[in-house]
Amino acid sequence: MTIELIYQYIFGAAILALLCIVASVFTRRIGAPILLVFLILGMLAGEDGPGGITFNDFGLAFLFGNIALAIIIFDGGLGTQKNTFRVSLKPALSLATLGVVATAAITGYAAHLILDLSWQEGLLIGAIVGSTDAAAVFGLLRSAGLELKERTSATLEIESGSNDPMAIFLTITLVQVLQLSGEGNQGWTILIELVRQMGLGLAIGFSGGYLLSRLLKRLSLPSSLYPLLALAGGISLFGITTLWDGSGFLAIFIAGAILGNTPLPYSNDIHKFHDGIAWLSQIGMFLMLGLLITPSHIIPIIVPALAIACVLIFIARPIAVFFSLLPFHFPWREQIFIGWCGLRGAVPIILALFPSLAGLENTQTYFELVFFVVLVSLIIQGWTIAPVARWLNIEVPRTAKEPECLLLTIKQEHDKALLIYPVLTGSHAVGMSPDRLPAAEGSQILGVIRKGILLENIKREKLLADDQVVFLATTDARDTLGRAFAPAARVSSLETTRFFGEFALNPDAPLQDIAKAYGFEVETDSPTATVETYLLKQFHGKPVVGDQVQLGTVKLVVRDIKDDRIVSVGLKLGSVTHE
Amino acid sequence: MLIESILTLERSKANIEGGSKKRLIETLAKIFADNIENFKVDDVYHSLINREKLGSTGLGGGIAIPHCRFETKGETYGVCVTLNQAIDFDAVDSKPVDIIFAMLVPENAEKSHLEFLASLAEIMQNQSFVERMRAAKTDEDLFQVITQKTG
Repeated sequence: MTIELIYQYIFGAAILALLCIVASVFTRRIGAPILLVFLILGMLAGEDGPGGITFNDFGLAFLFGNIALAIIIFDGGLGTQKNTFRVSLKPALSLATLGVVATAAITGYAAHLILDLSWQEGLLIGAIVGSTDAAAVFGLLRSAGLELKERTSATLEIESGSNDPMAIFLTITLVQVLQLSGEGNQGWTILIELVRQMGLGLAIGFSGGYLLSRLLKRLSLPSSLYPLLALAGGISLFGITTLWDGSGFLAIFIAGAILGNTPLPYSNDIHKFHDGIAWLSQIGMFLMLGLLITPSHIIPIIVPALAIACVLIFIARPIAVFFSLLPFHFPWREQIFIGWCGLRGAVPIILALFPSLAGLENTQTYFELVFFVVLVSLIIQGWTIAPVARWLNIEVPRTAKEPECLLLTIKQEHDKALLIYPVLTGSHAVGMSPDRLPAAEGSQILGVIRKGILLENIKREKLLADDQVVFLATTDARDTLGRAFAPAARVSSLETTRFFGEFALNPDAPLQDIAKAYGFEVETDSPTATVETYLLKQFHGKPVVGDQVQLGTVKLVVRDIKDDRIVSVGLKLGSVTHE
Repeated sequence: MLIESILTLERSKANIEGGSKKRLIETLAKIFADNIENFKVDDVYHSLINREKLGSTGLGGGIAIPHCRFETKGETYGVCVTLNQAIDFDAVDSKPVDIIFAMLVPENAEKSHLEFLASLAEIMQNQSFVERMRAAKTDEDLFQVITQKTG
């Protein structure tokens, strides 16, 4: 390669990345899935578009694709919060395992019929398109300004973080089965492979994640090296697991989740860095996949691919979701939404490269077919997610934004941090006396800075806008403090009232007393049943904020939840608003 | 909806002393009993307090609408007071309360009475209305502010 050519490559790549970032602004306006734009830009730059770049190196694409995927999944793990496990871990795991198998089987059977392939090859296609992409879903919801009930959002998030390993595993196994076809007992091969992939992935993920978190706590490094240490550690775990034929994606996801839930020095930096690098990976990967495809080759397979995409979207995913969620009693609206949120992303396209690298036949068709299926899913589901969420009525009012605060983690004191909150005009804190701030257990107020000077006797003062309040607090205390310093809510109190109701009820108030007060009749197991026990029973022990029950002309709405207990319930009177 | 259909000048008190939540409810019960025939302070007080035990009727933003069913022979009665100093009322947003509109609805409270309560709650969240109530210094001013809004 000449020097001149190298610089051309650098320039070209940078311009493409720049275009992608700028284009993301416009997609937000029109509500289009951002990944679709990256993909289309890649196709435009490719051999059939004005860019005219020929890129057909499947091996290189596979290498970059794997690294990018590993980083994206690691970032997904880092962002997975333990407290979302409360309502969603089991349903999400059921979707990620049973759901993927069911989706793959149904789609695979359809592919077997439509394309007239052997059942193994059909299943391979089903497995390749088996996993969903959360980043796509959440990007869309966020840009539409929607907030979902926790049961739905957490389930989708954990599902899409953890179903990639399953789809990857199924694909690899089926590729091996196809290679070995005829030799030995295939049932056994699949089973042994499953145990090995999952077992190693789990073992290395947990042990490696633990070791990595120890290392991050122990090593004394310049602060900007911590995120890099986390990244290098994560990818090393991915590498070693795949080398031993384990599921590297499962390992790196678990390691990420462990790091994300351990208090670490500079954990903010680690999160920010990985957020950025995950974006870069998304952009790079989709651009590359857009370049790799030859759009003119897709034309002959459009009809069968469209048929498979429709089976996947309208039949396989809803059925798989229905059965996977059966034991968890999800409200039907939320179930339909989860069924619709089966957005496919980069994982299937990368997986479509596996068969060709393993030396199977028909590989070009696999790639183009899968590419088109993903495209259809991005367009149909991606474009309609926000309207569907609104139509199904599963949003909750946005909570007050977490206020910006300066956070300094104290080395050797990983669960304690110095927090400095600015007092914003319109927040609850204005006018409060500093010692009356809702200090959570374990938080201490250290001082108030006004116009650059530390106030002397804070007990006699009242907080003014633009003061800075310094706390020494545990990470848990941040919730409580955050509420006091939250900027004036963007959602009006009227909007909150419309959703949660006019009045608040004590969760331990006897339900029959409320029935008497508001003139409705309700059957309870015992005369002493409280609002809380009644709601817990209605929602099978796992209520989430926003769940509601209609009783007579009033509605009970779950307002707040802490550690599996309902701490606040709203009472909504008969609707009189002209909506 | 006409607030004046349930409120009278005698039952509007501006700028009074609140004391505690309990004291305030006593005051409200007394205003009801003083101005409505056959109403006993204790009965009204206990009915209102029992409702408060189920959950605070503080709406947030410094406003509370204590209410309960009562033997009113089919009528709905209101009392409106503003306080010279806000008091703690266990409101949803834990902000102290200084505007209180108490309501007694008939025992056979049908849907329409609850709707009345709901629209009252909505009106009481109108910022400029609430500010005008706060600014009212005399009972007459307060009564006028309320009836103007809805009349």
